[in-house]
This record gives sequence, structure tokens and C-alpha cells, in this order.
Amino acid sequence: MERFYKIAGLTVKMDTFGRTEKQAENYLCEPCDNYDFCVEPMRELACRKYPHWSEDMREYMFTGAAFYRRLLEFDGLMLHSSAVVVEGRAYLFSADSGVGKSTHTNLWLQLLGDRAYILNDDKPALRLEKGVFYAYGTPWSGKNDISVAERIPVAGIAFVERGETNRIEPFKGSAAVAAIYKQVNHPKTSECRIKVLELMDKMVKNIPIWRLQCNMDIGAAKVSYAAMSGKKCDER
Amino acid sequence: MKLKKGFILREVGDEIVAVPSDEIFDMNLMITLNDTGCFLWKLLERETTFENMVSAVLDEYNIEVSDAENYIKKFIGTLDENGFLE
Repeated sequence: MERFYKIAGLTVKMDTFGRTEKQAENYLCEPCDNYDFCVEPMRELACRKYPHWSEDMREYMFTGAAFYRRLLEFDGLMLHSSAVVVEGRAYLFSADSGVGKSTHTNLWLQLLGDRAYILNDDKPALRLEKGVFYAYGTPWSGKNDISVAERIPVAGIAFVERGETNRIEPFKGSAAVAAIYKQVNHPKTSECRIKVLELMDKMVKNIPIWRLQCNMDIGAAKVSYAAMSGKKCDER
Repeated sequence: MKLKKGFILREVGDEIVAVPSDEIFDMNLMITLNDTGCFLWKLLERETTFENMVSAVLDEYNIEVSDAENYIKKFIGTLDENGFLE
């Protein structure tokens, strides 16, 4: 059924099913005529390109890709990351799948208790609004479907690597740019690609970027929280 | 010689990067360039020759002819190995 959703501050129309429809439930809004765009799932293309995926998976991936591609027109993009909120500020942890983004943000929840919650566990939207980057929860929040329909200013982005010990440092130079590029959406047209690079330019100028090497102990969260928030944590 | 079409050259922060906009290349590819690399890249966006590139570099940068030649050879070699040249 065709429904209207408010996602990343935009009103969108989407006719979907299964997991995508379920994960989008918290984003439902009243129908309206002046919506921003329609999320096109491109099911034929999806089926042709990924015949071995389930229909449900294809729908989830392609509606996400379609949403984030259109989001570029509104100064926004996707960053493959787990986003945790503490005291009204969002901290994003990005890495390839399987490295431990969610594991790390879960350590923040352990460390900070009810002062922290997950905004989006897999693909938050980032939007530049009046010079400030905000992270948004969206329905494309990963297999655990953890997302909150909120807009939170971004306090930092850390690129996560596994390590024996826990250390964090500012991430600069071409390695940082390459790391960001790897984890944002990659639309196919050159206009969209230019937009991605323009937004990345604003990101590196406006958001503190970190390189985090960490293990899975609670000490990892202490190290990243202290550096990224500039605060000491009173442990629970 | 000339670069293939389908690259976007942009500044991201203090870095200069080139990414493909055409699916003949790996769409996840990102090339980072230094100032000289960017200068050479721009020369190669139009049809040019090795000799032209050397003389352009010597006009722009205060370096020895042999250093310029070696640098350009290496740069072109890398582009060619990756299939970026027409």
C-alpha cells in the first residue's frame, strides 16, 4: 500500500512490503500532496542484478539505495555506520561489515547506561543544514532494526579497526578521505558522485574525524568516549 | 595520449581526488593526487604528448629536466597500468 513517511526531515511516498515496511513503521506520517519525492524500489532491476537474494532483501537494499540517492538533492548522504547518541550529540562509528561497529556502540550503551541510545545501527542519513551536519535515524537501520526517528547534531565520526589495544587519534589526509568514501553511498551518475564529493568536503571541514583501533572490552568505549566527547565518563 | 573519459576530479578538504563516474571502472575506486599529480592529470584531460608535459612541468615547477621526465614517466606508467589512458 502506498504510504507517506517522514525520513531525514523529508516527506516521502513509498509502496513497500515485508521488512522494509516494518522497519519504516515508526516513520509513518499523514498523506500529503506536496511530498518531497517517491522512493522507487526498481524491482525489475533489483531482480535482474541480484536474482539470488530474497525478494525481501532486494526491496530493503534497493529502497535504501533509492532513498539515499534522492537524499543527495537535499544535501544529505548515507554513512555506513552505527550512530549512538549521548546528551543530544551523535557519535558515528563506521567500518566495513563485520569489523564491529555495532559491537562498539553497544559498549557505549554498557558504559553510559540510559544516557546513551542507538539512533541508527547501520545506515544513518547525514544532512548538512545551515552549516551543521545532523544524523538521522532511518528505516534502513540493519538487521537488528534499531532506529529512532530523530535528528541529532553530529559530534564526530570514528573509523573503526580491530586492534589488540585501544587507541584513538585524529584521522586526516588522503587515508581519511578514502575511508569516508568507502562508507558513503555510491550513486552511479556523475552528478550524484560530484554531490557526494562536495558533501565529503564539507564533512572533513566540519566534523571531527577519528581513527579508532579497538578490541571488544569496555575500555574501548572509555577511550573513544573520552576523546570524542571531550568528557570523562563516570562509569556505572 | 589522453585520460579516458569518466573521471571526476575534486578537492575534498586538503586532498585532491579523482573518482570514476563510469562503470567501466571499479566504482569504489578513489585516486588521491598531490599538487603535481593534479597538474599532470589536468594536462592529460586533453590530448597531449610526453614532450608537452615535460615542458609544461618545467614552466610550472623549478626542477631539473631529468627529474621532471622521471616523475612524468612514473605517473603515466601508473595511469597506464590501471587502464586509465585511452
